[in-house]
Amino acid sequence: MARDYDHLFKLLIIGDSGVGKSSLLLRFADNTFSGSYITTIGVDFKIKTVSLDGQKVKLQIWDTAGQERFRTITSTYYRGTHGVIVVYDVTNGESFANVKRWLHEIEQNCDVVNRVLVGNKNDTPDRKVVLTEDAQRFADTMNIQLFETSAKDNVNVEEMFMAITRLVLRSKQEMKERQNITQNETVNLRKSNKQGKKKCC
Amino acid sequence: MLVVYQDVINIVQAKFSSTEVVKCIHLNVSSVNESLDEVHKILALVECKSSYALFVFITKKPRPSSISDLTIETAIPINSCFSCDTEPIENCQSHIIFIVNFKSNKLQFKIEIGVESSNFASEVVWSKEVSNNPNFNWLDKYKCDNLDPSNQKTSEMTDQSSDIPVLRHQLAQGQAASNRESILRYQLKLKEPEYTQQQEFSIFVGTWNVNGQPPSVSLRPWLSFDEEPPDLYAIGLQEIDLSKEAFLFNDTPREAEWVKYVMDGVHSKAKYKSVAVTRLVGMQLIVLVNSKHYQFVKNVAVDTVGTGLLGKMGNKGGVAVRLELHNTSLCFVNCHLAAHIEEFERRNQDYKDINARINFRKQPQSIKDHEQVYWLGDLNYRITDLNTQQVKTLLARNEIVTLLKADQLNQQKDRGHVLLDYTEGDITFHPTYKYDLNTDTFDTSEKARPPAWTDRILWRGEGIYQTAYRSHMDVRISDHKPVSALFKSEISVIDQNKFRRVHEDLLKKMDKLENEFLPQVMVDQTEVVFDLVKFREPQAREIIIANTGQVPAEFEFIKKLDEATYCKDWLRITPFCGTIDPGDKCDIKFEVNLEREMDKVYDILVLHLKGGKDMFIIVTGECQRSCFTSSISTLCRAPVPLLQMSEEQRKQAENMESRVLYSIPRELWHLVDNLYRYGLKTRDLFESCALHEEIIRIRDWLDYGSVDSLPGTVQAVAEALLLFLSYTKDPIVPFELHDSCIAAANNFQNCRLIIQQKMSDVHRNVFLYICMFLKELLKYSNENGYDAKTLASLFGDILLRDPIRNSKPQANRGKANFVYNFLVNDLSSSIIPNK
Repeated sequence: MARDYDHLFKLLIIGDSGVGKSSLLLRFADNTFSGSYITTIGVDFKIKTVSLDGQKVKLQIWDTAGQERFRTITSTYYRGTHGVIVVYDVTNGESFANVKRWLHEIEQNCDVVNRVLVGNKNDTPDRKVVLTEDAQRFADTMNIQLFETSAKDNVNVEEMFMAITRLVLRSKQEMKERQNITQNETVNLRKSNKQGKKKCC
Repeated sequence: MLVVYQDVINIVQAKFSSTEVVKCIHLNVSSVNESLDEVHKILALVECKSSYALFVFITKKPRPSSISDLTIETAIPINSCFSCDTEPIENCQSHIIFIVNFKSNKLQFKIEIGVESSNFASEVVWSKEVSNNPNFNWLDKYKCDNLDPSNQKTSEMTDQSSDIPVLRHQLAQGQAASNRESILRYQLKLKEPEYTQQQEFSIFVGTWNVNGQPPSVSLRPWLSFDEEPPDLYAIGLQEIDLSKEAFLFNDTPREAEWVKYVMDGVHSKAKYKSVAVTRLVGMQLIVLVNSKHYQFVKNVAVDTVGTGLLGKMGNKGGVAVRLELHNTSLCFVNCHLAAHIEEFERRNQDYKDINARINFRKQPQSIKDHEQVYWLGDLNYRITDLNTQQVKTLLARNEIVTLLKADQLNQQKDRGHVLLDYTEGDITFHPTYKYDLNTDTFDTSEKARPPAWTDRILWRGEGIYQTAYRSHMDVRISDHKPVSALFKSEISVIDQNKFRRVHEDLLKKMDKLENEFLPQVMVDQTEVVFDLVKFREPQAREIIIANTGQVPAEFEFIKKLDEATYCKDWLRITPFCGTIDPGDKCDIKFEVNLEREMDKVYDILVLHLKGGKDMFIIVTGECQRSCFTSSISTLCRAPVPLLQMSEEQRKQAENMESRVLYSIPRELWHLVDNLYRYGLKTRDLFESCALHEEIIRIRDWLDYGSVDSLPGTVQAVAEALLLFLSYTKDPIVPFELHDSCIAAANNFQNCRLIIQQKMSDVHRNVFLYICMFLKELLKYSNENGYDAKTLASLFGDILLRDPIRNSKPQANRGKANFVYNFLVNDLSSSIIPNK
C-alpha cells in the first residue's frame, strides 16, 4: 500500500453568491451546518476520503467566492480540476438563470471536466421558485446530471458528491482504457515491423 | 586478447565513479533491432554497492581507445524486472542472440559464441542472483534512455502545468500525505483485533529429496496421507534434476513433470490451485491452496538463493515463497544445504546466507519479517560420532531419543548456530536417509553411509500447532524418504464489513485531522477603503491577520495570473509575507501613494496561506485629480484651475475641444513666475528639500486656484516645479523622440529641428519656456551657483524622463547634452510664432 488512497481528485464548487456552496462543503466534509451566513471571500478547500467501488478516493474540494467581482480571479482556480459542481439556489430564480454563465465559465477554463448541477436550499417548498421540471429540462439539454439538495437538512448532499466523484472516476478509467488500447496498437505495429524485418533477413 | 580486454575495461571504468565498478564487459555487440552492423556496441555489467546494472555503450570503434569513443545508450537496472536469455540464430553457428528483458522492454544483441559471451552471460545471471540492494538512484545521473518507465511516470496530479492552484494543492497534500499513509497503516495494525479473527487453517508441509529420479509413482501416499484435505500445501523437492544442463542453465523438463505429479498427488477431496512454483536447479517449491481460499492469497513473491559451488551456484541453497493468506504473512523456505557429515558448519553458513540473501523485493523483504515461517528441506545434518552399525542397532532398539542427541541439527541448533528460535516437532520416525533405491533398506553399498535425519521441517511464529510429523516409507523411488508435517495454524481473517468500518472511521478521523491542520486565519476586514487619494499624499490602512488554526500559518500576497507583481505600483504592503503562530496576530500595512492620474484605485489582492486557502482583499479609494499628473495638453486647455472645472469643461479640455488654449499650462507659469521673481538668486535652488506640507499647499493652491499668493518658500516652489515636470501624464519630450534627441545632442541645429518639427506646440512651448527660464537662471550664476552643465543634467533627466520611474535615476549624458544645447545657444530661432 503505497498511499492511503487510490485516486486523488480535485473538485470545484461554483455558482452565484449565497446559493450555499460553502454550506454544501461543510455538510459533506464535516457533517455540520451553520445558519449564519458568512460570504466566502477567497477560495478554501477541505479534503474528504470516500470509498467508491472498493476504491479509496481522496477528494480535495475547493469552495470559491461567488461574487461577480471575483469572477476573473476565481477562474484561475479551475485549472487541474477534475470535476465541477455548479450550484444554484432553488429559491432564487436569478441564481438559476446565471447557471448558463457558470457553465460557460467552465468551458472557458477547463479542457475536459465532469460537471453536476445542484439546486440547493431545497427545504422550504413554499419558497421554491425554480421548479424541478424546469431545472431538469435545462439539465437534460445541457447533458448534465441534476441534484436538488439541502445542506441544511442534509438531503442529497452525499449522493451528489458521490455522483460527481463517480463521474470523475469513470472518465479516468475510460481514459486509461483508451491509452491502453493505443499502446497496444503501437506494440502491435512494432511487432509486425519486426516480422517484416525477419522476412527480409 | 586478454590485455586488450583489460584495456577496454579500464576505458569503460573511466566512465564511472569509483564506487561503481565495471565487473565485466562484452565487446563486438550489435543490436538486432538496428538494421546495420556499423553501430558498435559494448555491454558492461556495473556494480554499485551490491546493486547491478547493465549498460549499453555505443562506441566509435570496435575497440575504443579513449573514453570519448564511448557514449552510454541505455542503463538497465538488474532487479526483479530484469531477465536475460539467449536464442540461436537460424543458419548461424558462430553467433547467438542475447536477449535482455526489462519490464515490457526487450533488447536483443547479437554476440559471438565463445568464452567471452558465456562468461558475460553467467556474470549477468549471477549479478541478478546476488544483488541485494534495490536502490538504483546511482543510475539517475546516467540520464540516458533509461528503460525504467517509472522514471517517466509522475503522479497524475502533477502533470498539469504549474499554475497557482495546482501548486497549492500539492502543498496542501504534501505536508500531511506522507504522514497519513504511515499513520493509517499503524492505526490499522493497532485496530487489527477489531476487524480480524483467528481462524485455524491446516497447512501440509512436505519435503523430499528425490535423488534425481524422474517422477514415476503416485505421490498420494505422501501428499494425501491424512483423512481431511489441508487448506494449503507447501511441497519442497530437492535434486529433481542432477544433470549438467540443469546445473549450468537452470533449465529442466523435470519441473513441469514434478508439478504434474504433485497436482495428481494432492488430496482428492478438495480442489487446489497453484499459488507459486519456484525452482533453482534441483530445488523446487510448490505452494498450492485449496481453491476456496485462493482469493484470499495476496502479494505472492518468490526468491531463490544459490549457496553451492563458489558460494553461488544453485546446486545448493534455498528457494522461498512468501504470501499473505488473509491478513497473515507466511513464508516457506525449501533448502538443500551442504552435504557430508563433517560439513555442518558449511550447512550453518548456508542457512545464514539464505536468510541474508532472500529478498522478496517488496515489504516485508526478508524471511524473518514474516509472521509465520515454515522451513523445510534436505538440511543434510547427520548423526555424529556413531558408525553405521551403532546407529542401526539403536534404531533396531527404537532408541530414537538417544540417536537424536547425536543429531547435528539438534546440536547446532542448541548451540544457537542454526535455526535459532525455530521449533521442530518430536521426531518419531526413522532416519529418512539413506536407503537403497526401491527398498526400505538402509544403504547397503560399499560406503554404507550411516542413516540420518537429513529431511526436516521446522517453523517459527505465533499460533502454529503441529499435529503430525512423519516420514512416508512406502514412497521408495529415491534414496530419501519423503517427510511431511501437518499444522493447524492460526490465520488472522479479516471481516470485510468490520474492516471497512474501521478503515472508513480511520479515514474520517484522518480527514478531520487533516482539515483541522490546514492553516486557518481570519482577517478583520476584507475591504480596505482609502479616503480621497491625492497626489503625493500617502495614506495607510492596517488589517489584522489572526491565526485561528492549529498550525503556524505562512502567508503571502501572491500575484494573480497574468500579473507581474502581487500588487499595483500605487500600493505598498508591509509585510507582504510572513509566518504567524497559532493564536498570534500580524498587522499588515497598506500604503497608497498616487503618482499617476487615476479616477480611483481598485485592486483585489490574493492572500495565500501556504498549503491552505486563499483570501481576497479588496483595496479601493477615490482619487482626486491634480495638475501634477494631468497632461500638458489638457492643462493648456483648462479655462479654470483643475478642481474648479465642471465635468463638461474637463471633457472638453481632455478632448481638445475647449475654447481656450494657453501656450503653456497656467500652473507652470505660476511656478516659474514665482521663481523668476523671488528665486533667481537663491543658491542651490533645486537642491534644498521642502517640507511635505509646503508641497501639498502648493499643490492645492494650483489645483483649486486662489486669490492669495502662491504659498511656500522658493525652494518649495522649485521642488514643485521639478515634480510638475516629472509627473505630467506624458513627458515634456515624448518618449519616442529620446533616441533621436540623444543622437542629435552634439549638433544644435539638429536638436532644434527635432524641437521644431517633431514636437507638438504645447510640448515645444513648455520645453522652450523652461529652457529660457534656465537661461535666465544662468545669468545669476554667481549668486545661485548653477552652471549650464549642472542645470542641463538636472533637467535633461526630467524633460526627457524614462518611461519607468526609477528610484535612483542616473544622469544620462546624452539627455544632458541635448538640453545643454538649448541653454548655451540663441533660442529665438527655435520659437515658431503662433499661427
